[in-house]
Amino acid sequence: MPPPTCLRSFSQLSLDSAARASMASRARAHAQMACFSTSAARYANPVSKKKGMAQTKKGNKTLNVKKGRNTVQDTGKRPAQGERKAARKRIVLTNDNALEVATLKDMTKADVLSEANQGRVLGIPEATVDALRAVEAFKTTQGWSLFRRPATLMRKETIELAKVMKAAEDDKKTLRRVLSGERLSGKSTLLLQGLSMAFVRQWIVINLPEAQDIINAHTEYAPLPDSQPTQYTQETYTASLLSQILKANNTAENPMLEKIKVTTSPALPLALPADATLKQLIELGIVNPEASWPVFVALWQELTQPGRPPIMLAVDGTAHMMKESDYLNAEVKPIHSFDLTIIRHFIDHLSGAKSLPNGGVILAATSQSNAPSTPALDFSVQVAEARQVDPSKTPRWNPYKNIDPRVMEALKDLHSPTAKEQLKPLDVIKVGGLSKDEARSIMEYYAESGMLRAKIDDGFVTEKWSLAGMGNIGELERASVRLRI
Amino acid sequence: MPPRLNVLSLARAIPYRPKGQAQWLSRPAARLAPTQTRTYSDAKDEDKVPAADRSKRIDAKPLGHVSEEASAMADITGGEGPDLSQGTPVQDIVRGDKKAEEKLPKVMKEQLKSNASSAPKGSRSYSTSTTPIGGGSGAFDMGLMSMTSPPAEAVAPGLKFEMPVLPLPKDGHLKHRYDPVVDQVTNLLMRHGMKSVAQRNMALILQQLRTASVPTINPQRPLLPGAPPPSHLPLNPVLYLTLAIDSVSPLLRIRNMKGAAGGGVALPIPVPLGQRQRRRTAIQWILGAASKRKTNTSGKTGYAQRVASEIISVIEGRSSVWDRRNMVHKAGISARANIVLPRKR
Repeated sequence: MPPPTCLRSFSQLSLDSAARASMASRARAHAQMACFSTSAARYANPVSKKKGMAQTKKGNKTLNVKKGRNTVQDTGKRPAQGERKAARKRIVLTNDNALEVATLKDMTKADVLSEANQGRVLGIPEATVDALRAVEAFKTTQGWSLFRRPATLMRKETIELAKVMKAAEDDKKTLRRVLSGERLSGKSTLLLQGLSMAFVRQWIVINLPEAQDIINAHTEYAPLPDSQPTQYTQETYTASLLSQILKANNTAENPMLEKIKVTTSPALPLALPADATLKQLIELGIVNPEASWPVFVALWQELTQPGRPPIMLAVDGTAHMMKESDYLNAEVKPIHSFDLTIIRHFIDHLSGAKSLPNGGVILAATSQSNAPSTPALDFSVQVAEARQVDPSKTPRWNPYKNIDPRVMEALKDLHSPTAKEQLKPLDVIKVGGLSKDEARSIMEYYAESGMLRAKIDDGFVTEKWSLAGMGNIGELERASVRLRI
Repeated sequence: MPPRLNVLSLARAIPYRPKGQAQWLSRPAARLAPTQTRTYSDAKDEDKVPAADRSKRIDAKPLGHVSEEASAMADITGGEGPDLSQGTPVQDIVRGDKKAEEKLPKVMKEQLKSNASSAPKGSRSYSTSTTPIGGGSGAFDMGLMSMTSPPAEAVAPGLKFEMPVLPLPKDGHLKHRYDPVVDQVTNLLMRHGMKSVAQRNMALILQQLRTASVPTINPQRPLLPGAPPPSHLPLNPVLYLTLAIDSVSPLLRIRNMKGAAGGGVALPIPVPLGQRQRRRTAIQWILGAASKRKTNTSGKTGYAQRVASEIISVIEGRSSVWDRRNMVHKAGISARANIVLPRKR
């Protein structure tokens, strides 16, 4: 019963209860009892507003300034998380539309390091392509996706690197090279060629694909116990590095790591089965990231035992590791990159503090497109480049630039070498422009692949060679294949 | 092969006569012996034919059968008539004659129907594309290279440098050294005067066209006549782009003449477009359709990828740009009555 009726009947009850007949009062009493109950009103469903009724009066128009009121809502499926980035980072190594080059020969173990290859375009064998993919040697900016299968030009610098590798293999020397050169001159591709030659020669290959990924504080870190001064390990990064090493060096054709048995007795936090192989050792580190650094140390110790294959240790984007990292220590001061264990390991070998008893090559490629300013590295490279031209004319240090003494100390052999040998232990390979013969060779390969529609004659080669800034191979590719005006 | 019959000369229904060759094949070998009765068509001696009229009056003589009539007609007009030694298929005889077609056996009617439906639906009796001036292979730059060196010119005395080889190369002029279509698309891709970005996008588009799989051509949406087979397109991305743009470019635009219809009503008048104008319209349609597509990747390549996939869908006949072109042409046809040509004197 609604409240007004209830009140009214209540007042009537007090006024004329005596005057009422018994029949009527009995009926009213029934109504009064219902009147005092509040439960019905309480449990009733709330009155719903009528739908479609405008709040305002009919005929009144209100101003609606909401953005995008009239635009159609896009109801399509959104890309899944990470899908767009994966599409951006995808490495495509084949183009089904490109023609097969009949004359293309593969690198073979017998003659990959021979000097006769200069100026030839050689294909990379399939197993090596898989291994290179595993160590992330291919970059998205390189033009692999245009051709039927990966192939590279054996240019002058490649042959120089091949000679270095041959010397390291034959005399069990540790030779270190820094790859420098202009933008788009092919430094990363030369590094890739070095890696692929090492794979073909069945070396052990350890590649740090991008130095920036190690120091940009995207992976977890922890101080290494009993280290003075404190070093820092990166467990997740080391574990993924171990899995890359395993995938690249233990292929179906050359199951190197499966064959080699653990001979030393490494101190590991986890138990290793007796008579274990290197593969089992690495898998231990992959499965337990907290043990990855001790496993890496044990692996390195195993690989440097006598009778093991030579080692290729490489890094791209070296400038990033020649400065302080983005990690902070307990005093909230930046940690120097050299205090990260992986980088410390690399720098020890690059500076010559440690050597490889079975021989090997340490390669450090610089970058011109993604490089922080590192005056010490730049100066060392400049001095080494100038010495190759004329040993008496080397540039002097600019005293107004900030020096990083640890980097200067590490690259001592580069800017003030003591060795007088013909083949210096630490040197620069300056990646310059192609010669016209090399340019012609690679352009003939382009044309045979069907990617360049032109008659390759002297005039055409010279034109493109000049447009490419005296044979800069990246610019040459842009001008001829990529149709970049 | 020319039609066996001059269809236009037939004005009456014609009796059915079986296909000569089919009859010959079905005939058993034993019937090689001369028969008593001969059919009309291969009668050698006119008098032996039972129905032959022997009257002398020309107007009373019956007409010859259709093949004879057609060959006589061809004789007069100087053309090549049907071969009288063979029979004429009945389909040829009744072609174009609706009344006679109704009387055909069911099998032949169905065959006729299936033949009629095999032609593309949108095909018209008139052309919907322009023929380039100069004709022939001048339509497309197929990107073919002549591998023979040009003949050596006779050395003219008194010249410091060699005579230029004629014709001059297409990229010989500094300001016109790039392909005209690529140049035009680059300029239309450009936003806020950032030409280098537009050039990068153009290179990415061409790279996408080169690496995408071979397109499948839709017969309902015919490309320009003289187009190379689709398998050639990815190897020549500039031709791919040119073909897509030229195939969907409209022939005309509708200009609305204000007040020409009287009473303040605009009169639509179709106006023919030049080649560069037609390409511009088509490129803008394609770019508009591409910007409505959804982005599949992040980074700088997104727009170029969308444009490239729109170009591929144009070639494959899936793009909405084709409908747009058809709409413009339809409007042009309905408005062509409004064209007032100057009166001849």
